[in-house]
Amino acid sequence: MTAGLAPELARVRVRRFEALRRRPVALVVAGLVILAASIGAAVVLGNVSLPLGDTLAVLGHRAFGWPATVTWPSSTETIVLELRLPRALAAAAVGTGLAVAGVTFQGLLRNPLADPYVLGTASGAALGAALAVLIPVQIAVLGLGLINLLAFAGALIAVTLVHQLSGGGRGASMTSVLLTGYAVGSLLAAGLSMAMYLAGANLRQIFFYLLGSFSTASWDQLILGIPIVLIGTVLLTLRARSLNAMLLGDDVARNLGVNVGRERTILLALASLVTAACVSLAGLIGFVGLVVPHVVRLVVGPNARLVLPLSAVYGAAFLVLADLAARMPGELPVGVITAIVGAPFFLVLLRRFRAGYEL
Amino acid sequence: MRPSISVQTPSSIRLKGSIHARLTAGVAALLVFLAGCGATGGSSPSPTPAPVSTPATTAPATSTATATVAPTVTPVVMATPALTATPEPAAAFPMTVTDDEGTAVEIAQQPERIVSLAPSNTEIVFALGAGERLVAGTDADDYPAEAAALPDAVLQTKVLKEQIAALRPDLILAYGNGFTPPADVTQLRALGYPVLVVYASSLVTAEKDITLIGTALGAPTEAAAILEEVHAQFDAIEAVVPATAPRPRTFYEVGYGPGIYTPSADSAYAEMITLAGGDPITTDASFTISLEALVEADPEVILLGDAAYGVCPDQVAGRDGWQTMTAVKDDAIRPAFDTVVTRPGPRLPLGLASLVRGIHPEVTLPAGIPPDPVLCAAP
Repeated sequence: MTAGLAPELARVRVRRFEALRRRPVALVVAGLVILAASIGAAVVLGNVSLPLGDTLAVLGHRAFGWPATVTWPSSTETIVLELRLPRALAAAAVGTGLAVAGVTFQGLLRNPLADPYVLGTASGAALGAALAVLIPVQIAVLGLGLINLLAFAGALIAVTLVHQLSGGGRGASMTSVLLTGYAVGSLLAAGLSMAMYLAGANLRQIFFYLLGSFSTASWDQLILGIPIVLIGTVLLTLRARSLNAMLLGDDVARNLGVNVGRERTILLALASLVTAACVSLAGLIGFVGLVVPHVVRLVVGPNARLVLPLSAVYGAAFLVLADLAARMPGELPVGVITAIVGAPFFLVLLRRFRAGYEL
Repeated sequence: MRPSISVQTPSSIRLKGSIHARLTAGVAALLVFLAGCGATGGSSPSPTPAPVSTPATTAPATSTATATVAPTVTPVVMATPALTATPEPAAAFPMTVTDDEGTAVEIAQQPERIVSLAPSNTEIVFALGAGERLVAGTDADDYPAEAAALPDAVLQTKVLKEQIAALRPDLILAYGNGFTPPADVTQLRALGYPVLVVYASSLVTAEKDITLIGTALGAPTEAAAILEEVHAQFDAIEAVVPATAPRPRTFYEVGYGPGIYTPSADSAYAEMITLAGGDPITTDASFTISLEALVEADPEVILLGDAAYGVCPDQVAGRDGWQTMTAVKDDAIRPAFDTVVTRPGPRLPLGLASLVRGIHPEVTLPAGIPPDPVLCAAP
């Protein structure tokens, strides 16, 4: 095509997105359909190929008691119900959680580079996990091993520390929160490096954890993880108005009647809780929390009331598919897939909207 | 500027990863007394101990035989020192065995569908004559030749649980010290599979593990026979090094990249080097040693465990700062057959032989011990 035609085309495409923007319900419904299809694909496909009929029969048998007679090998049931389904749901939960937390942190910090791990969560969780590996005790609470529990605690402690050190809700500038997060994160990262140095043969465990994976997802883990993510997502979505106001700056938000200090603390706490739950379920998975919110904003604009639920749904679908792609050939790190697939897609979108995209 | 650690951390790993990539082994392969991942030069030696010949003896009548004596007794715990190779009565299933992590594992019937998650376990199962009962192994299995053809339940050190479930195993042989990720062990157990975690932290436990696996497979007699053979070979090889021979200070290079990797003092490597008539230069559990410490220790012999990964004596001699070492001056830098040195199984005597070749090249090994494969290009 000629150079002169390209802007014309781009405008047409933007107009198409404009149309989408006015139909948020359709977008959410489409997202839910895509999510359901992704989970379906994640249950049907995998490293081992199972007959489609058997897979559906296993699901039907468990859910509705039909078909009543078992005609499939017990291994099919194990693979479908104990390995694939919890794994797909874990990926969906983590995709939702990271995307929603990403929207919140980006809005709260008014920083497009913010992601769920920005305020020390990642290094806190990683250090917690590393310590769990070094401690020679084996305990499990609610199906969560020490590594999950300490990762969860580490993430929350790190954020609390950042919040307190930066003066938190008491009128601290978001720049100082961000920088405090960076400083605390670096400190914890040094602790992590030390722990890895001392880990000896256990280095592998820490290494796997840092790469992020859903390979050991189980129903037990979901019992705790899914409620935290879902409740957190709903509560954050209900506070979308505050988030919108704060995007305009603290003074404007105050004039709009938002209690900035209080709302900021609540949003931060919710987003951190959701992030910590995600991190304890799957380790560190980059890119999802950073980019899914931006992609959604590029399509529907910055209104948090739309961006939050849409990010939740599309983040979930994206991570379910990424995890499927990661485990089809064996066990690739899912973070590699999210970046390989997501980054070019994001770049294409960015180019199209080069002019005038602001957070 | 992305103020997030999620970028920073993996990159610091990648730094380490480059060594390991070079070693074509997983991160832990350096550190665990097992390694054995990756091919070693192609020409593997002929099988010395317990070639795969006799199929495992099944004992259908045992249940009645034992029932009269003690109906509820479950033969447990193979803590018996391996030296007492008394043939036991054929095993009675169900049985409970205690694995190397102290977990009591119940095995309902004689395992017929075994999954091995470590090359050493695979070798032991084959040596026990139960190779045909293995339904899956690892992508690093290279011995015996049939092992390489097995479906892989472990790929790039990742445990493929769907594959394992599809094979409906009745026994899974994992490896400890983090080699099989503990989370995977937990999950496989939760799915109802008996998982035996084997971990040879020393030569004594390496022997114990052969007995343990033999018991779990219902082949204790075969296990005892292997151990007898292994002991005989160890004795024969140790005997060729005179007690009066000097014990050269020996540096065994596990890996070299950024950092120098050598065995820790309490590892089986150190035991093996001592048995081979050397004085091992060791370090702590980090498995790393500084160049300063190495220069100070002044090795008289340098053995290249990483020879299979392309590290050759002439390269080592050319490294900055290494020229002051006696071993470099004396040209006493020799490749070692790392796979058999580090893989706890029936081929450990070959590992010992490889070490003796490197430490005491002047002695003649007992007849029948195959030469090491060509480990790096001839100088």
